[in-house]
Amino acid sequence: MTMNFVKPLLLVAAVAAVAACDPVGPDKSRDRQSIDKDDLTGMKAGIWVDPNGCDHWIIDDGVEGYLSARLDKYGKPVCSGIAPPTIATGDFKGGSTSIIGDPL
Amino acid sequence: MAYRISKAIGAMALAALAGLSAVAPAVAGDADQNTPFISTQNTRTIKGEQYIPGIWVDPDGCEHWVMDDGVEGYMSPHTDRKGIPVCHRSNTCGVMNTDQFFATDSHRISKHGQARIADFFKSANAVGYVIAGHTDSRASDDYNIKLSYNRALAVARVARSVGANITDVRGYGERMPVATNKTATGMAKNRRVEILCFR
Repeated sequence: MTMNFVKPLLLVAAVAAVAACDPVGPDKSRDRQSIDKDDLTGMKAGIWVDPNGCDHWIIDDGVEGYLSARLDKYGKPVCSGIAPPTIATGDFKGGSTSIIGDPL
Repeated sequence: MAYRISKAIGAMALAALAGLSAVAPAVAGDADQNTPFISTQNTRTIKGEQYIPGIWVDPDGCEHWVMDDGVEGYMSPHTDRKGIPVCHRSNTCGVMNTDQFFATDSHRISKHGQARIADFFKSANAVGYVIAGHTDSRASDDYNIKLSYNRALAVARVARSVGANITDVRGYGERMPVATNKTATGMAKNRRVEILCFR
């Protein structure tokens, strides 16, 4: 019983917290989320290997998650073999906080 | 009973969620930064919202467009209009001057040259390598593509013999010069095999 209603209430609280934030202007270059705000240039990335075996930078910045292709200087995908396909490796959860951690 | 109550609270939560999400865009709409940007250039009307990105530099030294519009985050590689990434440095960890390893028009490597290449790959310590061959602009484009590819293959064969993980072998011929082909020194610089290291 307790378990049953705690979860939806938590969700409501989380959504309310998010909705309470100021609207974001045209400049989208910073994380304004009050619980995990930071400068986007300092984010730490790991590598996620796609099903074809090619590398992508993966970042967990708290509420936001980022994924972007790893390219070599000729613009071709880097498929380094650093991990098997579908595996994420490296310390990429540096931006998550104790409040908003892995589950999001 | 317990089940019914939790269900009712669940429904309340859902309603609250819906209410909030319905209110959110209206609130945002009041703010002037969300006023639609309308361009009437060339008689086409574009309705949009301005998203100015930041730049994130990956561990290889290449730039990515990054945007955070509140709760969502977006990212995409920063490339020029030809698809070449914008980077502050590159993963090139070795450039072999082909004059030192190959005779003109040949893709055969001497025993001494093979030993030097093997030594390089034994100490380079990377997870994966890309080998890319290049030529100067003499002879036809087609011929140069083949020659540079065969030279890259020859280097890759030696690298693989000492256990290096070669993930791609390419021949760019004369299409990716690093110097002018109008001078002898420029042409010598263009005759090369590049080794990209990924760690």
